[in-house]
Amino acid sequence: MAVLEGAVVYSNLLVLLAIGLTITYITTGVPNFAQGSMAIFGSFVSLSLWLLFNIHPYYSLPVSFILGGGLGIAIYILVLKPMIKKEAMVVTLMIATLAVDLILLGVLGAYSDTLAELTGKGTKKFIFTPLDFKLAGLDAILVVSSAVIVFILFALFLLLYKTKFGIALRASMENPALAEIMGVNVEHTRLFSWFLSGSLAAVAGSLLPFRQEIVPATGAIIIVSIFAASIVGGLGSIYGALAGGYIIGMSESLITFYLSKAVGPSVLLYSKVVSLLVLIIALIVSPKGIAGLEIWRKRTWRRSTSS
Amino acid sequence: MAQEYLLLDIILWFSIYLIVALSLNIEYGYAGIPNFGRALAVLVGAIAVGGVVNRILIVLLGIEGGGLIETSGTLKSTVNAMIAQNPLLGLGILVLCLLIAALMGAVTGALFILPSAKLRQDYLAITLLAISEVLFLVSNYNTSIIGGYYGVSIPDVLAFVPGEKRFLAFALLGVGIALLVYLFVERLLTSPYGRLLKAMRENEDVVKAFGKNILVLRIKTVALGSAIAALAGAFYSLYSVNVIASTFFRVDWTFFPFLMLLLGGMGNNRGVALGVFSFVIVKVLLIVYKFEIKSTLHLPFEATWLEYILFGVLMLLILYYKPDGLIKEKPVTMTPPIKHALKQKAKETPGR
Repeated sequence: MAVLEGAVVYSNLLVLLAIGLTITYITTGVPNFAQGSMAIFGSFVSLSLWLLFNIHPYYSLPVSFILGGGLGIAIYILVLKPMIKKEAMVVTLMIATLAVDLILLGVLGAYSDTLAELTGKGTKKFIFTPLDFKLAGLDAILVVSSAVIVFILFALFLLLYKTKFGIALRASMENPALAEIMGVNVEHTRLFSWFLSGSLAAVAGSLLPFRQEIVPATGAIIIVSIFAASIVGGLGSIYGALAGGYIIGMSESLITFYLSKAVGPSVLLYSKVVSLLVLIIALIVSPKGIAGLEIWRKRTWRRSTSS
Repeated sequence: MAQEYLLLDIILWFSIYLIVALSLNIEYGYAGIPNFGRALAVLVGAIAVGGVVNRILIVLLGIEGGGLIETSGTLKSTVNAMIAQNPLLGLGILVLCLLIAALMGAVTGALFILPSAKLRQDYLAITLLAISEVLFLVSNYNTSIIGGYYGVSIPDVLAFVPGEKRFLAFALLGVGIALLVYLFVERLLTSPYGRLLKAMRENEDVVKAFGKNILVLRIKTVALGSAIAALAGAFYSLYSVNVIASTFFRVDWTFFPFLMLLLGGMGNNRGVALGVFSFVIVKVLLIVYKFEIKSTLHLPFEATWLEYILFGVLMLLILYYKPDGLIKEKPVTMTPPIKHALKQKAKETPGR
């Protein structure tokens, strides 16, 4: 049972990260290699608030959300927008996000050392599990992370389908050129997507220390799972990211757990291999991910002919 | 003495990184394959030395007792003593290491690029990065491949060289290997094969129309590039006389080679050499003066983080202000009508 709970928590967080990655990919066309480090940024926001002001990580989620969103916007405006204006190639933009990832790693590492010196506590590695409590017989992290997912999906649904901005947003995701002709400001949708991506990543990052130990370089490790989740989902659809996040999160946790029962505990180290295998199988079976499977064809034919 | 040490350090790192950057230049600079998993081939080179050659020697010499990590320690002292008596044995092991590394690199590269049969450029880059990252994690955690995070010892192939000259000998050896690789790559890429790669980078459909199989071409290219990169991994391991998986981190062996390549200018080897040279000087100076930087600037953190920030920012500046690098690629001479036709074709099919 505890294993299943852990798997659900991990999948919830992966969904947040995969949605963020997918939404920026849809609007900007760049797979963001810094998504993992953007999450770790959120972890450090929560850690700082806890160490310096004694604010419990659950209460610091709004702060993470806003600061993470700011980071996302900063990355877009300072790095990607100027390059897109110069009509840089996709690979160039990808290398740029790798560079952003490295800068973030450097900044987080430097910050982690500084924080350790300031507070006199070792923050090279940290974990929040001792801060967790029980809520109605379940670990609070399970309840909180699930509530966050439900809340964010509901808010996203309202925004995308019930507001005018949402219609404009969806239009510019489907076909930016056409949306622009119809008077939609595509720039706004890109800014919004980067804000959302950064804030979702930071929220996921704030909750991640409840499940695993965090070091500044953790982002480089979780990026494999994030990409696996997004690609399994098709990189082009938010629903795909949702499904992909659960598929990867569940298989990573559960397959390794049951394998470890059969083979031995050493298998537990290889959870990322499971991600990679699922990713490769998904790419062979359906290179466009779940969203590109034949059964959805009726719903997505418009997208495939227009782009 | 300190300055001599600095110079040798620069020469050594220049040789190692030149080999890796040249291999990436074949794949990305010429052929346009975004190999975001370069670190994998370098790691395979290290595995060839620490995991394969070590095991061969252990079996040949009949060394007993314990796992790979313990026996490697015994192996090292036994073989070092033998090499000190017989320099030819050391050179033989060196050649054996490089051969096996190149072979394993080629095989890994050929398998590694297979997903490209189905994937577009961005998906491919992600997949290659993921494969490389996962194998890095596996070899770091699994102590039975190359000792994982404990690492394994490796015999010193130049054990016959007296201690104080060892560094010099390795620097010269490194330059020698790098020079051979440079000449080989230069010769190879000025041949029709090099032009074919450039054609594939610019427009795959044209290459297809001329009856070439893109996938076979990619497999050949990445196998070749990975073989060369594996040489660097093998040489680096032989120099540091041990292999620790965690030294083959993505930043050092994928990101930095890309940085050197873009700094110098893709698609021409002189530019790459210049890029590697500039990068290595900065990097070595940063490493050597790490503690001075930390204490003079009163940094409350380690200078490594500063290095990451600095190189990340440098990469962004290059991408934005100087995407062609220091030395621009020379166009292949063509008659204007052909050039015009190619441009039109590229306009009609944006991207790939």
